[in-house]
Amino acid sequence: MTSSVLVAIRVPTSPARAFDVFTREIAAWWQPSDLFALTSEGDGALAFTGGEGGRLTATLPDGRCLEIGTILSWQPGMHLAFTWCPPAFDIDQRTEVHVRFEAVGNETRVTVEHHGWAEIPREHVSRHGFPDAATLARAADWWRSELQGLRRHLGG
Amino acid sequence: MNAAERLDRTFAALAEPNRRAVIELLRRQPMSAGEIANRLGLSAPALSKHLKTLRASGLVEEARTDFDARVRVYSLRNGSLKALRRWLEDTERLWSMQLSAFKAYVESADANQKEADRS
Repeated sequence: MTSSVLVAIRVPTSPARAFDVFTREIAAWWQPSDLFALTSEGDGALAFTGGEGGRLTATLPDGRCLEIGTILSWQPGMHLAFTWCPPAFDIDQRTEVHVRFEAVGNETRVTVEHHGWAEIPREHVSRHGFPDAATLARAADWWRSELQGLRRHLGG
Repeated sequence: MNAAERLDRTFAALAEPNRRAVIELLRRQPMSAGEIANRLGLSAPALSKHLKTLRASGLVEEARTDFDARVRVYSLRNGSLKALRRWLEDTERLWSMQLSAFKAYVESADANQKEADRS
């Protein structure tokens, strides 16, 4: 059973520049959305800092800086991967986003793969035997808040 | 069970790889416990535990066959994967929206760059 989402788009620039704009200028292109708010106070200004091992953060208007995820792979012009754990989402129950940049003629295909919750416990299985109750409870917490967000958006 | 509790159970149930494999099988067709155990190479007691969890989560239901009351057949309950589908749909919408925004930004930044080059 899969829990991955794959979305791709072509942009009229080189892979190197697409990577640069994607990472360095994310605060400029990211569109905040009520439906998918990353923190309870909106998305703030997103930033990738520190390359591999670094962080993806959201800086709120009041100056607070919240971590959205950590950077797993940083290969300029090729590949970017980061964990995706917005604050409503417990750090242990992470999802992962992989972004590929590939030249297609004069353009670049940017492919986002978002691997969902179901892929993650497999790691817990190999490391710790079975996912423990706490891990499952955290996953459930995330979903609960996710759905509360949806309900808020839908006005329910 | 309210919606949040139902979700809790669904995600707890699907967090285990063997249980996801059971769901995969049952998505195609209903099966007896024996068939499932054979296909997945699980012992009867191990499978029985997983089926119990899957039934409690509301993902799977059990029925007895007409021709042999001893054989129980398991099938996927209608609508039981709604929450997962919703996550997939929402996540796809999120990234479709963000990549469109990214493209629009690249195009506008490109345009700016070209303007800068010309001047």
